[in-house]
Amino acid sequence: MSYLRIIPSLLISNGKLVKGINFKNFKNAGSPVTTVSALDSQKADEIFIVDTDCYNKKKLEPDYELLKKIAEINSTPITFGGGIKNLIMAKKAFSSGADKIFLNSIIFSDEEIIETIALQYGNQAVVAGMNIINKNGKYFLMEDNSKAINPIEYAKKLQKLGAGELKIIFVNLEGTKKGIDIDYSKKINESVNIPCIFEGGIGNLDQLDLFFKSGLTSVGLGSLITFSDNNIIKIKQHLLNKNFNVRI
Amino acid sequence: MNIGILDYNACNISSVYYSIYRLGYDPKIIKNSKELKDIDKLIIPGVGAAKNCIDYLNQNGLFNEIQKFLASQKPILGICMGFQIFATNLHEHGLSQGLGLIDAEIIPFKKTNLFNIGWQNVEINKKNKIFRYIENNNSFYFCHSHYLKFNNKKDEEECVGISKFGTLVPSLVIKENFMGMQFHPEKSQKNGSNLIKYFLNWSPK
Repeated sequence: MSYLRIIPSLLISNGKLVKGINFKNFKNAGSPVTTVSALDSQKADEIFIVDTDCYNKKKLEPDYELLKKIAEINSTPITFGGGIKNLIMAKKAFSSGADKIFLNSIIFSDEEIIETIALQYGNQAVVAGMNIINKNGKYFLMEDNSKAINPIEYAKKLQKLGAGELKIIFVNLEGTKKGIDIDYSKKINESVNIPCIFEGGIGNLDQLDLFFKSGLTSVGLGSLITFSDNNIIKIKQHLLNKNFNVRI
Repeated sequence: MNIGILDYNACNISSVYYSIYRLGYDPKIIKNSKELKDIDKLIIPGVGAAKNCIDYLNQNGLFNEIQKFLASQKPILGICMGFQIFATNLHEHGLSQGLGLIDAEIIPFKKTNLFNIGWQNVEINKKNKIFRYIENNNSFYFCHSHYLKFNNKKDEEECVGISKFGTLVPSLVIKENFMGMQFHPEKSQKNGSNLIKYFLNWSPK
């Protein structure tokens, strides 16, 4: 039986760790290498690292050099992304320390990129992202200007395109500590046969309990790790006390 | 001791390289058959797709070189994809013929759960001497869509480590001078590092 997955989600900019709210107002949050080293020794189940500078058009390619420095000291699986647009960039990421790569907005302009990378690295190595916005109960994707795409249909499509895993971020909740959207997470999870990681809004341990109690298995954590006195050991010990199947 | 890591133009090469480097060794990344000559222990990493991997090995003369390396009795560690290529046939992105050391097929998981991604315990066969070095039911990191299914009962009984993902997943196989791991020891923190250490000190027989 698989263990529940606690996955710290780190954003980097200019070689530094940053944290924002609703994808805005990023604050400096320290050294990525030191942070990964700590998460590795605390037994994080995986670590997500996304370079934000390519989204903001500050750079054309993500920070492979930083990824190499992280690979030197780390033995926890790394998913890396932020601006990967083609097979050559994916290859650079894999040879610098990525174990899986994360693709998001590029899929809107190039659907075939998932299969192109999967044919060489395997479908299990491609994580596809969805940034979901909830406006008055209507759900749509942040990158979808038409607001016409149903995120649940889109999740099914990503599976068909060859993604091995999905990472779903609730943009309105991200960084707010208001709790995650469990109902909608469950709807997405039930619509596909690939693992789904959900992120956005979890700001305390009770919210985490509710998430796992609902049967969901993988969570991405930003604020709860980066700007709080929680750490992976404390979080997992708490979950273990509540009889959840976590690895300590 | 010269440790070689085979790069077949896919692979999470940095992750594997540093997992060995951190143990105090200086491994070499091997890209062609010439570089294999001075190697005492060979590691074939994972993160790849079967068809692409086997085609690449054939086109670059590496398929035969691995066969020769195997025949020379020098130890080989195969991780994930690097483990699966030692089976008879691989059924991912079409059919490919493997190295055939293990009489087995590499087949996909059932439709309901297509990918095994995460940490699982591996149950170690008490008959194997590795049991004295590796704690039973330690957890390791898995990331795969296809798994190994033995074609005969005897090999199945001798399988060293087994995990469960809907079905039984052979996760640690030792045969002659080959050690194969379905999980990623390079990404399994302390437990994985202990197994890599075991391999680096291992002399088959």
